[in-house]
Amino acid sequence: MRDSLRTAARRALPVMATLTTLTGLAQAAPVKIGLLETLSGPQASTGQSFRSGVRYAIDKLNAAGGWNGQPVQLIEYDNQGGPAGASDKLKAAIADGVQIVVQGASSAIGGQITEDVRKHNLRNPGKEIVYVNVGAEAMELTGEKCNFHHFRFTGNAQVRTKALVAGMKQAGTLGAKVYTINQNYSWGQDMERAVVDNAAAGGYQVVDKTLHDTNKIQDFAPYVSKIVASGAETVITGNWSNDLLLLMKASKAAGLKVRFGTVFLDQPGNVANAGETAIGHFIAHAFNPESGGPASTRFVDDFKAKTGHVPVFVEPQAVFGLEMVAEALKRTKPQGDALNVNAFAKVLEGTRIRTPMGEVSMRAADHQVLMPMVVSMVTKDAKYKADDTDMGFKPVKVFTAEEAAAPVQASCKMQRPD
Amino acid sequence: MDTLVFALLNGIIHGLLLFMVSAGLTLVFGMMGVLNFAHASFYMLGAYFAYTLQGIVGFGAAVALAALLAGAVGVAVERWFLRRVHHHGHAHELLLTFGLSFIIAETIKLLFGNHPVDYRVPASLDFAAFTLGSQQYPVYRLLMGGVAIAMFAALWVLLTRTRVGIVVRAAIYRPRMAEALGHNVQLVFMGVFGVGAALAGLAGAVAGAFYTTNPNMALEVGVMVFVIVVVGGLGSLGGAMLASLLIGVVTSMAVGVDRSIADLMAVLGARAWAEGIGGLLTLKVSSLAATIPFALMLLVLLVRPRGLMGEES
Repeated sequence: MRDSLRTAARRALPVMATLTTLTGLAQAAPVKIGLLETLSGPQASTGQSFRSGVRYAIDKLNAAGGWNGQPVQLIEYDNQGGPAGASDKLKAAIADGVQIVVQGASSAIGGQITEDVRKHNLRNPGKEIVYVNVGAEAMELTGEKCNFHHFRFTGNAQVRTKALVAGMKQAGTLGAKVYTINQNYSWGQDMERAVVDNAAAGGYQVVDKTLHDTNKIQDFAPYVSKIVASGAETVITGNWSNDLLLLMKASKAAGLKVRFGTVFLDQPGNVANAGETAIGHFIAHAFNPESGGPASTRFVDDFKAKTGHVPVFVEPQAVFGLEMVAEALKRTKPQGDALNVNAFAKVLEGTRIRTPMGEVSMRAADHQVLMPMVVSMVTKDAKYKADDTDMGFKPVKVFTAEEAAAPVQASCKMQRPD
Repeated sequence: MDTLVFALLNGIIHGLLLFMVSAGLTLVFGMMGVLNFAHASFYMLGAYFAYTLQGIVGFGAAVALAALLAGAVGVAVERWFLRRVHHHGHAHELLLTFGLSFIIAETIKLLFGNHPVDYRVPASLDFAAFTLGSQQYPVYRLLMGGVAIAMFAALWVLLTRTRVGIVVRAAIYRPRMAEALGHNVQLVFMGVFGVGAALAGLAGAVAGAFYTTNPNMALEVGVMVFVIVVVGGLGSLGGAMLASLLIGVVTSMAVGVDRSIADLMAVLGARAWAEGIGGLLTLKVSSLAATIPFALMLLVLLVRPRGLMGEES
């Protein structure tokens, strides 16, 4: 069955290829953007959040005329939540003629894609592709793995932690004893390092740190016992999805009185599920609808009109990232009716846009975006409520892109095409 | 000392919860020879049933109803699906339940969405049972443990001390003879499968409120439940209890151990050497806590393939 399908596909391929060339004669092929996201399996909810942000931005780009007189085409691929699936789907995307690949959920997947893209570009000069990273935040992606065709449009462990620590310190809730608990892979390890690195700036002591398996643990009670034993006042964690929720629920059950400093507390479902436990906890994120004035309201209203909900979690960063891509596309001239990826990437390096949060620009040295960060606290008097509860995120402090930035890592040795 | 008491208590209660889910799986396997891949899905169904019903009938009644509903789904699955493929052999039954687990998960996603739902411990049960040192112990955890122990006792009595138990055991060991004596073996199988599903549903309804109720909860607990059943011995209820407690306590204790093999080497004066090598030698035990059960399973399969209390086949 499978074999016969494969043969059929093999026979059909040349026909399809001819058809594409024929239509190509009639008019230029549209630019294809491939979204390589986790759309099924346990972490599908995260991938779908990225997708809704990306879809919104692409629709907006097409409503404004697309590129080279044609709408940009968004093709979605399901990487099934793992690097192996992502690697497979990247090949499929390349075969489909995708020139821009977008991905966000999981640094493990991001690490695979950036390596695959680098190798592909080395082996196929003239047919380069570019990786638009809207959510993988491990340091290595702009460090030892940094390469010319990778662009990160989100913060990273250092940026998030720096903002979180400064914001919580200013709110007077940081305390002198900090415990850090993280998932045991590139992102979690980077968060742990960042919390230790920021100790002097935050004026705290890291009393203990823990790395644990990612989204495998059901019972966090033993970890909470450990936090209690350490005497910590604040827990800083890069945990996401179930690992964050279960950790907070277990802390509440044990009557633990600590503040949580988080990165992903605004994932849909978290606040509702944590209930009152969530009050007083902090988050460092890319966007809060309450700050940014009328521009924010306009963005929120438009997003809500198009998708039915207020942009939360990773949606704003995905939108801002794709808006920068759109801006760079606008300033890239077609070469023989097609997009020259290297020319596009060179424009993208110097792209600068205004988002409701402020000025956002791409840093050419390591392709890390410089974006404002907002530190918010969960309270009942927030204007926009989360998950239909009476609680929401109230901004505590907005850091400009310059204030939030972390320096370029020495390990990034970028090789530019001529 | 406080830490040790808490670690032990945490481990035992989590173990008891794992037992609640694995009991049904091991029972169904022991009696019907069906390795039910969809078993953890009944656990998830129980949680979602209870979540949906709690607004209408209150928490206690919702939990009880959820268990019954999960049991009813189990009965339906046995009656209209498993029975049809039974004569094709075990591989077909396994594939059927495997497919079923996907269908249940996707249906849940369609109806309730991808994110965790707002199912929480009711306020009336949300207080501390006791405080030791600076840490409180939630009464709900004790309740979960209590439910599991009551369930174990009830099952034990039912199977070993009642007439129903005798018929069930007879139908399992000598189905044809039991049938010849006028017992309805099909009904027994359906009943056993239903009870297994109901037990998982009960566990889900109770645990879903304490942990989280999301479309992945079957996956989260499913793997661990298989490990327990293998370690305890396929088909052995006592073995499942022993393995659950063992895994619960070992995982809980391991979290508190910030030691690595390098520390062990220090006794021999080889710490520097071990740290130089790094890798596995400097990995802390605590960061491996969730992996230890799998190592345990491997060990049991190597040393005692029939499991801790499994029968020799």
